[in-house]
Amino acid sequence: MGLLEEMAKVVIEGDEERAVLLARQALDEGLDPAFAIEKGFAKGMNEVGRLFESLEIFLPQVILSADAMARGIEVFRAHLETKGTRKPDKTVVLGTIQGDVHDIGKNIVRIMLECNGFTVHDLGRDVAVSHFVEKVRELSPDIVGVSALMTTTMVHMPRLIETLKEEGLRDKVKVMVGGAPVLPDWASWIGADGCGKSAMEAVAVAKRLTGLE
Amino acid sequence: MAEKGTFFDFIEVIRRAESGEPIKEAEYDRKMGRLALDVVKRYEIRYTPEQVIPEDDGLADRVFEGAVSLFLDLGVYCTDTQRTIRFTREELDWALSHAPKEVLYGREEETVTLFPRKVEDRRPPVCLFSAVGAPVSEESFVPIARSYVQEPLADTYSGPLITSYQGLAVTSGSPVEVEAAIWNTRMLREAAVQAGRPNIGIHNFQSTGERTDATIASAQESFGAYPGDGLLVAAIAEMKVDFERLKKVAFLRHSPYVQGGLYGPLMGGYAGGPEGTAICLLAHHFLGLLVYSAQRHNAFPIHIHHVCNTTREMLWLVSVVGQALARNTDLISAANAFMAAGPCTEMVVDELCAHAIAATVSGWHLNPAAVAKNRHPFRCSGMECRIHAEVGHRTALSGLTRKEANRIVLRLVSSYEKQMADAPIGKTFAECYDVERVKPTDEYESLYEKKKREWQSLGFDASLPIQKKERGGG
Repeated sequence: MGLLEEMAKVVIEGDEERAVLLARQALDEGLDPAFAIEKGFAKGMNEVGRLFESLEIFLPQVILSADAMARGIEVFRAHLETKGTRKPDKTVVLGTIQGDVHDIGKNIVRIMLECNGFTVHDLGRDVAVSHFVEKVRELSPDIVGVSALMTTTMVHMPRLIETLKEEGLRDKVKVMVGGAPVLPDWASWIGADGCGKSAMEAVAVAKRLTGLE
Repeated sequence: MAEKGTFFDFIEVIRRAESGEPIKEAEYDRKMGRLALDVVKRYEIRYTPEQVIPEDDGLADRVFEGAVSLFLDLGVYCTDTQRTIRFTREELDWALSHAPKEVLYGREEETVTLFPRKVEDRRPPVCLFSAVGAPVSEESFVPIARSYVQEPLADTYSGPLITSYQGLAVTSGSPVEVEAAIWNTRMLREAAVQAGRPNIGIHNFQSTGERTDATIASAQESFGAYPGDGLLVAAIAEMKVDFERLKKVAFLRHSPYVQGGLYGPLMGGYAGGPEGTAICLLAHHFLGLLVYSAQRHNAFPIHIHHVCNTTREMLWLVSVVGQALARNTDLISAANAFMAAGPCTEMVVDELCAHAIAATVSGWHLNPAAVAKNRHPFRCSGMECRIHAEVGHRTALSGLTRKEANRIVLRLVSSYEKQMADAPIGKTFAECYDVERVKPTDEYESLYEKKKREWQSLGFDASLPIQKKERGGG
């Protein structure tokens, strides 16, 4: 098994220690860090996403894999910054909307986005519309992702879009919405740019919105 | 006010929430995954796709002991204090031994008694009909609610929810939420009166208002929330509570309303696969008993992708947890049916049948039914509950064994499982009911009759007469 395949395998297995060792080995062998991440760790993580989608593995294993990948990437980080061969990450400001404390769906989306190369600023749950707007202004993300589990909280989503417009920020950020009661028709009606039914679909939408696919 | 029973000291629960071991939430979630995996291995709990209704009593007992182990080692997480509320085995055993042996809903001629059911119990399940908070409009709320409460097998009922009130969106934390919540309680009782059942118990009289202030505001006898009605308090995520939920408990303890715990762990989520999630669901019953002082329990485990509990793994999970509870406790628990398909589809009728058989034979009471993944507006009706409850009654009355039930349920699951990802959303209430007369369309009635003939050929006695429900005298 080649080094890149090995890197993919340790991510699938969620083996943090081996991920660190293989990242160091890749550097020693002179591999370009961005190339090693993309063809090694990220490939493994894509497989993890597929396995989770078909429920051949479950969330705890996905978390372990994400941890292993993060530890491996950490080894490359200094080199990525100096060599500058990796495309800058697309950024997402993510949170569960005001009044809503249900965040498991949002957490899964965060993990899957991070594993697909996005930088995610997770604002947590019960996030006020004003805080989302503040963070959009401060961080200039490519996407603001908002989730809701209840019909009484999803109605804050149009308020967010309206406030972004009022603040002159709507044209500068894509809005992605999701959560159990959020249907694609409704998302489109409120003027959101995208809506994902599942975590993997959310990743696909995020890639489409940022021109990655 | 009916006696609620003896529960673990709620003030001590709050004290522990304030002073328990601090832990970051992400670490708690990881700990759950690790512990659940370890418990599954240690107690040799294995999901068997060809035996969705296991006959192995030992497996059920191991699931119970595994849940005890998880509950004691993990504790309950309070998100407001970021601390765990822990209990000892002695405290858990004490609480289990003092759990209510019966719970009463309703008044006078509508009084019904819930009791601990057993595996392969020939006593029919109590059926708690519910629209499970499906989103509807103000205009359609009462007709849709009537479609549930008018059903003869509805022992108690609860309703849908409205997303706008007098032209304003019902927004969490707003004054509209309080207004709409009060309206919700009034209209549920109004629907019961219109159906000629003014005294029926409403087991969860608030679906529209979610926040505690809105819920408490709607809890007035003058609005139609009578003693003998109830409210459900949910765990917010796997083994987690917060002050908002605990405030509801604080209110309910001093109210005349039945306290129910509501638990919906995600299969595929933090607790892992069907085995880990089974343990986690059972452990939630301990959370409800000890933290929420719950008199009874409602379980709605959900498939993380398909948002239902009628897949093969989910039916196994429902069955094994029901059996574990029934064999090892006197807790009174109802299985919430969550269907992938929507009203008036062949798939939903088969899903309802499979779930009702699996749940009834495993010792649950029945709480039908969320349909169309509980997310599509207006896609719900009392007919789904009728189907579920009739199957449940016939399962019990015919004395179906787990072995026979397994054979029938496997045939049903095989017929619809390939459609899970793209389950049909079905018809709206107005499309599958005569709204004026609040009566299912001929199409829906015929579909049910056709399905009953098919089930008969599978060996399920779908024509067995159902005894008239005896209520009252409580």
